[in-house]
Amino acid sequence: MALTCIVVTPEETAVNQTADFVAVPLYDGEIGIAPKHSPVIGRLGFGELRIRSGSTVDRYYIDGGFVHVVNDVVSILTSRAIPAAKLDENAANAQLREASAKRAPTDEQRQARDRSMSQARGQLAVARRARRS
Amino acid sequence: MAKARKLDKRRKSVRNIEKITRTMELIATAKFRKAMDRATAASAFTDRITHLVKELSAAGLEVSHPLLESRDKKENVLFLVLTSNRGLCGGYNGSVMRLAAAHYRELKSQYSATRLEVSGKRGISALRFRRVEIDQTFTQFEDKPRFDEVEPVADRYLDEFISGRVDRIDIAYTKFLNASRQIATVETLLPLASLSGEASEAESQPQQHGVSSYEFLPSAESILDEVVPASFKVRLFKCFLDAAVSEQIARRVAMQSASDNAKDMIRQLSTTYNRARQSQITNEIMEVIGGAEALNG
Repeated sequence: MALTCIVVTPEETAVNQTADFVAVPLYDGEIGIAPKHSPVIGRLGFGELRIRSGSTVDRYYIDGGFVHVVNDVVSILTSRAIPAAKLDENAANAQLREASAKRAPTDEQRQARDRSMSQARGQLAVARRARRS
Repeated sequence: MAKARKLDKRRKSVRNIEKITRTMELIATAKFRKAMDRATAASAFTDRITHLVKELSAAGLEVSHPLLESRDKKENVLFLVLTSNRGLCGGYNGSVMRLAAAHYRELKSQYSATRLEVSGKRGISALRFRRVEIDQTFTQFEDKPRFDEVEPVADRYLDEFISGRVDRIDIAYTKFLNASRQIATVETLLPLASLSGEASEAESQPQQHGVSSYEFLPSAESILDEVVPASFKVRLFKCFLDAAVSEQIARRVAMQSASDNAKDMIRQLSTTYNRARQSQITNEIMEVIGGAEALNG
């Protein structure tokens, strides 16, 4: 019994593979999905997607979106899915610096700034973890 | 001699043109394949979003969102026109521009402030020629529009619409129906008429409201809040992809007929050239014979 994990971005189907276990970054923390998980639709945050099949673990950075789990099929809809090894830490650092230096007087601007910051932080965290493992 | 040589020269230049058009045709075919693959990949995403919306409405959720509500206020409208950066693609840009110009006039009569944004050098120069004011131009979208490039544009539109600076956003582009049919269309992007345009299919299926086997994290409403902007972004992205695919097809067709015409022309020129050469030889023989006769006499 295995999961099928499908990651779809507007540009391509980034991942389509079987997995034993999938960990997905939800908006407020991580959710682990093993086979026979109950049906779930969830909102994603910015963070690390881990797909474990056998002894190999694939890591991706996921940029928001949705997760849809039904009948052992995990579909992830996101605007970007970047393999952890390909993340650009310098660019993420620069984005974080730029965002935190920006003044945001209105609510909308503040939201945009927070979004940009959590994006950058998510990327950095994923990149760091990928380096350690 | 002069005429035959001239014809030969002309035939050579037509042959060169044919080589170029033939190459362009092949390139357009290759690019079309790639663009087509991307468009299919994008529709995989849209299908899934539609599916998600279906699940949400099955959960008994009233589908309502600021982006879905049409406004009575008719003040500001934004009109986006997608054309290509390059020419030599037959009637591709012409048909979009014709439609866009008519729609632009109509919008101007209805709304007090109309903003125009154009993507593609061809459209920009065509509108400049007509002395129409353009508020923003894009030339970065080539035959492979990337989502990363489209997203900032989509974000800006969302922001302007939600904050009330714009009441309606329309788009003129070439819609890709299938490999042999593409039509220039004008569509309203915002407010979104329906989610991903396939909600009618979702409605036609009988659904048990209030019964859902799904667990929503955090809640169905919050997911809907995110789904609607996402589906708008993808829709805009799909427009760009459609336009790119259609451009390549239009170019391929145009270059195909150009190559065919060149071939016909070469055939014609060859016949005329052979005839001219023949008559020249006949003339020379006549002259020789005439000269010989004169000597004999």
